[in-house]
Amino acid sequence: MGDEATQVSASSAVAVHALCFAGIVAAHQLSGRGMLVSNPAYALRLLVVFEAPLVIAVFSLLRRNPKRCSFLKAAARGLLGLPIGAFLNAFGAIVLGAPIGIKYWAATTYWSLLMSLFTFVPAACVFGASKVNWQAVLSHSIYCGSTDSVDYMISAPAHGAVIGAWLGAWPMPLDWERPWQEWPISVTYGSVAGHLIGMAISLALVVTHKRRGRAKAD
Amino acid sequence: MAGGGGASPSCAAVAGWTVTAVLLQVVGLSMFLYGFFPVKPTLPGFSGAESYRMPSCGLAGGGEQPALPPDQLRSLYRELSEVPPVYDRLVLMVIDGLPAEFVLGRVGKPPSKEMVESMPYTQSLLAGCKATGYHAKAAPPTVTMPRLKAMVSGAIGGFLDVAFNFNTQAFLDDNLLDQLHMIGYKLVMLGDETWIKLFPKLFWRQDGVSSFYVKDTVEVDFNVSRHLESEFAAKDWNMLILHYLGLDHVGHIGGRQSVLMPQKLKEMDDVIRRVHNAVSGLEDNLDRTLLVVVSDHGMTEGGNHGGSSYEETDSLALFIGHSVQSSYCSPYDQNEALQVDLAPTLSLLFGTPIPKNNIGVVLPEVFNSLTDQQKLRTLELNSLQFLRLLQAQLPAFCFEDCINSKYGLGIDKIPQSVEKKLCHLLSKAFDSHHPSHLHQTSNVKSIEAGCNRTAVNAYYEFLRYASEWLSHRATNKPFYLLVSAISLMIVSCLSLMGIVSCLLKGKSLSQFEHHSEWNSDYHWHLDEVFIIMGIFLYVSSLGSSSFVEEEQYTWHYLTSTLYLIFLIKTTQSMLRESNSAVARAEGKIFHGNDCSYFTSCKLIPSMRDGYKLCTIIIILVSGRILRAWHQGGVNWVHFPDISKSLAQADSFVVKALQIISVLAVVVLYSVSLLLLRPRKLNILLVWLSHFFCGILVVLHIWQSQINTSLPTKHSTTSIAQIFYVIASISLTFTFVASPWIFPIHSMEAEPTSSGSSPKTAIHLQGINHSMFLIGITYAAFWCLLQLLLQQPINAIPLLLIFLQIISSIMHFSLDKSLHKKWVQIVAMQLLGLSGHFGLGNTNNLASIDVAGAFIGISSYSTVLSGILMFMITYGSPLLLYLGMVFYISVINSDDISTPHQSKWSCILDKMITLPCLLPLLINSIALTSYTIVLLLMRNHLFVWSVFSPKYLYVCAATVCTCAGVFIIAVTAVYTCTVFSFRMRNYKDKSYN
Repeated sequence: MGDEATQVSASSAVAVHALCFAGIVAAHQLSGRGMLVSNPAYALRLLVVFEAPLVIAVFSLLRRNPKRCSFLKAAARGLLGLPIGAFLNAFGAIVLGAPIGIKYWAATTYWSLLMSLFTFVPAACVFGASKVNWQAVLSHSIYCGSTDSVDYMISAPAHGAVIGAWLGAWPMPLDWERPWQEWPISVTYGSVAGHLIGMAISLALVVTHKRRGRAKAD
Repeated sequence: MAGGGGASPSCAAVAGWTVTAVLLQVVGLSMFLYGFFPVKPTLPGFSGAESYRMPSCGLAGGGEQPALPPDQLRSLYRELSEVPPVYDRLVLMVIDGLPAEFVLGRVGKPPSKEMVESMPYTQSLLAGCKATGYHAKAAPPTVTMPRLKAMVSGAIGGFLDVAFNFNTQAFLDDNLLDQLHMIGYKLVMLGDETWIKLFPKLFWRQDGVSSFYVKDTVEVDFNVSRHLESEFAAKDWNMLILHYLGLDHVGHIGGRQSVLMPQKLKEMDDVIRRVHNAVSGLEDNLDRTLLVVVSDHGMTEGGNHGGSSYEETDSLALFIGHSVQSSYCSPYDQNEALQVDLAPTLSLLFGTPIPKNNIGVVLPEVFNSLTDQQKLRTLELNSLQFLRLLQAQLPAFCFEDCINSKYGLGIDKIPQSVEKKLCHLLSKAFDSHHPSHLHQTSNVKSIEAGCNRTAVNAYYEFLRYASEWLSHRATNKPFYLLVSAISLMIVSCLSLMGIVSCLLKGKSLSQFEHHSEWNSDYHWHLDEVFIIMGIFLYVSSLGSSSFVEEEQYTWHYLTSTLYLIFLIKTTQSMLRESNSAVARAEGKIFHGNDCSYFTSCKLIPSMRDGYKLCTIIIILVSGRILRAWHQGGVNWVHFPDISKSLAQADSFVVKALQIISVLAVVVLYSVSLLLLRPRKLNILLVWLSHFFCGILVVLHIWQSQINTSLPTKHSTTSIAQIFYVIASISLTFTFVASPWIFPIHSMEAEPTSSGSSPKTAIHLQGINHSMFLIGITYAAFWCLLQLLLQQPINAIPLLLIFLQIISSIMHFSLDKSLHKKWVQIVAMQLLGLSGHFGLGNTNNLASIDVAGAFIGISSYSTVLSGILMFMITYGSPLLLYLGMVFYISVINSDDISTPHQSKWSCILDKMITLPCLLPLLINSIALTSYTIVLLLMRNHLFVWSVFSPKYLYVCAATVCTCAGVFIIAVTAVYTCTVFSFRMRNYKDKSYN
C-alpha cells in the first residue's frame, strides 16, 4: 500500500498495553472494590475518564502516515470516533436486549463510551477514514495475513472486548439473584476481561510477528 | 451435477431417508412420553354414602344419592360408619419445609441438642406421651402445591393429570376440605396463598401471604400469627389452617445449618404452645380439638427441595389431641408413614368419607380413644375405599370372585399375580375381622384380643401392599424404556445430520465449480461458525431451569446476534467493493447475472447497499420492539412492558393498532402482487378476496368491541365463519391454479429459442412466479387469520414478525452470494422462534391463550378448539414456514445461470431439500437434547414446574415443524409436477 507502515517493537507494544491496563487499574482503585456493583454509572464514568486520555494519546502516537497527519489531528479523529463508536455500541446493546428505561440511561451511556474506547477509538486514531484499514480490522482474516503489528494491537483487544461482553450477558437470566447480574455490570466484567485477554493475544501475535520478520531477514 | 462428481444423493433417496428418520423420531418420542408421563385413571366426583358399603362388580354407577343438607349428611355418615367422630375441631398447622428429623431425630437417634432446645414445648409433649409423631414420607416432586393436594386427597397425581388441568389451579378431585365443607364445617385459612388457589371459594375467612419473596423470613409468618388471638376467641369455625412459610425461606437462604434456623424453630414452638393452650382451655365435651402439625416437604443440606432424596421427602406429621394419649410411648423410634396417610386418618377422625383417590393408610396410634371394634371398622372402611380404587385400576379385579374362590387358595400357596395377592390379603383380613363377632358371645377376653390383633395385622398387610402398588403406578419410571426411546431419537437425529452434511458437501462442490471465480473462499465464515456455536449454547442452556424459564432471552439473543453479524458482513462487503475498482467491475458482471425480478436489475450499487443495510436494521429494530412487547418468563414478568401499558390505555388505542395492522398487511400483500404484473384476472380475484377478508377482520374487531358487554357474540361468530370459508376457498384456488396461469415462455425469449437452455431458464422463471404467488398468499392470509384469532394486544407484534420475514427475504435476495443458503434458512427459522416468544408465549402452560380457541366456533368441539389453540400458540413459526415458500421462489432464480439444469428432479432437489431438511434437523436436535435433559432431570427440583411443561412445548414444536415442512414440500412438488406436465404438452405442440 501507499501507506508507510510504522514498525512497532515488542517492548513498545508492551508499553502501550501496560498504559491502557494502568488506566483500568487506576479507575478501579479510585472507585473502590465493589463500586461497579453498587453504583455502576459512577464506576463506569471513572473508567471512561481514566481510559479516554490514555487510549487517545497512545494510539495517536501510532497513527498512520505521521508526516502527513499530526498528533493533534489523530487525537481529534479519536475524539470524533468516541461518540460515533458509543452510538454504534449502544445500538448493538439495545438490539440485543439492553433495557431502555430512564433508570439505565446513564449506565448504558457510560458503558457504550467505554466500549467505544476499547473498539472504535484506537482504530479511529490510527486509521482515520481509511476504508481499506477499516475493512481489515472488521475482518477476522487479519490474524492470518497482516504484516503490521499495529493491526494486532487494535483488532485483538477490540474483538476480545466484544466477545467478552457478549459472553458476559449469559448469566443475566439465571435466578441466582446476585447483585452483579444486572445490566450493565456482568457485561462490563465480560468486556474488560475480554479486552485484557485480547491484549495478551495481541502481544503474543506481535512477538510471533517479530520472529517471522527476523526469519525473513535471514 | 451429472459430470460434476458431486456426492449428493438423489431426490427420492433424500426423501426416503428423511421420512424414515422422522418416523424413527416419532416412535422414540411416543415411547418416551408413555414411559415418562404415566396417566393413571382417577375416579371422578366425591365419595358419599356409598363408600361405607361393599362395592359391587359391574355396577359402576352405584346410584346417585340426592343432595342432603349438611346436618342430615353428617348424621347419615355417622350412622353408616359405625364410628363416632373423635373430634369437633381441627387446627392444621403446616410448617413449610420442616424436616421431621428436626423434631423426631433419625433412625432412633434424637435430634441434635440445638434442635431439642429450640422446640422445648413440642419435645415435652412428645416425652409426655401427649403427642405422636411420624416421618410422613412425601412423594416427589417435593414442592408445595402437589404436596398439599396429597395431604388432603391422599392421591399422588401424575404430571399429565396436572398438565391437562392447566387452565385452572383449583383442585377439583375429591378431598378432605370439600368433604368437611359439605357436612357444614366452616374453614378458615391463614398463610400460604396456595391454599386459596387450590380452593378458591371454600374458606369462611382467609388471609393469604405470597411465597414469592423468598428473602422474607419474618413478615411472612407474622401475618399468620397476628390472627391467632382473634381466631381462638371466635366460635364460628371448625377447621383452621395455618401455613407458615418462614422456615422454608430460612432454609432457601442459609440451608439447614442457617443461624436463623434455631430462632425460627423457637418461633414455631411458641405457636404450637399458644395453639395447644388455647384449645386445651376450650376443652370440654362439646368442643374437642385436634392439633396436627405437618410439613409439606423437607429440605436438603443446602435448604432446597423438589427432588426425591431422603432429606427432601422427610416430612413431619405430628398429632396432638386426646385420642393420641397413651400410657407408653417412645417418641424417637423411627415411626414411618406416608404423607398421603394424613387424608384417611383425618377423614375417619372427623366422620367424613375417605376421598375417592386416596392411597393412604390410617395411622393406628391416633385412634387410641376408640374401642377395638371401632378401630377395626376404620381399617375396614379404608379397605373398602381401596377396593373401589383397585377396581378402577384393575378391571379384572372383583372381590366377590375372591370370596367365591377363596377356598381354592391355600394359605401357604404363593400368589402369582397382583389380583390373586390382593384377593388373598383382603379375604384373610375380612375372615379375621368378622368371625370375631361370634367369639364375643363367649366373653373370653384373651381370645378376643388375639383375634383383634390378627385382624389388625391382616388389614394393614393388605392396605400397605395395595398402597405401595397404587403409588408405584403413579411415580415409577421404566428406565430401560426411556433409554431405548432416547436411543431411537438419537439415531433419527444423527440420520438427519448425515443427510444434511451429504447435501451440503455436494452443494459446496457444485458451488465451488460454478462460482470459483468469485467465491474462492471456502473457509468457514463468521455466521456459519456462530450458528454451530449457537446451537451448542442453546443445547447447554436447556440444562438450567432459569434458562428454560427465560428462553425468550436465549432466542432473542441468538437471533439478534446473527443479524448483527449479517450487518457486519454487509458492511465488510460494502467496504470491499468500494476499495477495489477491479472488484467493482467484476461485481457488476456478477450482479448482472444475480438479479431477480423481486429486486430490480436497475438498482445502482449504492442503492443496493442502502437497501441491504435498511433491511437488516428493520429486522433488528423490529426484533427489539417484539422483545419489549411482552415481558415473559418468570423472574422479570412483573416488569413494565408495552403490552401492559397498552392494556391500561384506552381500548380505542388497541383497536386503532389492530386496524393499522390489518391495513398494513393488506398493503404489503398488494405491493407484492404488483411485482407479478397483475394483469391476470386470477391474481386480481385473489387480491380482492384478501382485501375482503381484511375488511372482515376489521368488522370483527369493531364488533368484538361493541359486544364486550353482551354474553352472546353471534355476529362476531358469523364474521369469523365467513372469513374461514373465504380464506379456505382463496387459498385452495391459489394453490391449485397458480401453476397453470403463468406462461411457460415469454415473448421476449421467443427469438432466441435456438437451444434448450433458454427454454429451461424460461420455465424456471414460471415456477418461481407461481411459488411466489402461492407463498405470499399463504403468508398474507395467515397474517389475517392470526390478527383475527390473537389477542388484540398482539396485532402489532404480528405485523412486526411479517415485516421481519419480508425484510429478511429481501436482504437475502439482494446479494445471494453474501451468505450460504443454509445460513439463510437457519436465520429465518430463528426469526420464527424468537417471534414465538414475542407474541407473549412462554414455557409455562398458563400463557396459552384459551379464549381465542373459541373464535368462530358456534358449538363446543375439543378438536376444533385444540386446532385453533395450536394455531394461536404457534402462529409465528407457522408464518415462517409459509413464508419459506415465498423465500424459495425468490432465492432460486439463480438457477437461470446454469443452463444445463434440465432434469426436473434436480430442480425440485434444489428447491426444497434444504428448506425442508434444516428445520427438521434443528427441531430434532432440540427435541433429542431436551429429552436427554428431561431424563437426567427427572429428580430435579423443578422437574414438574419447569422442565415438564417445556417438554410439552417441544413436542408441539415438533408437530409444528412437520406440518410446515409438509406444506413446503407439497407446494413445491405440485408446482413442479404441473409445470413438467405443461412443458411436455408444449413440446408436443411445438413438434407438430
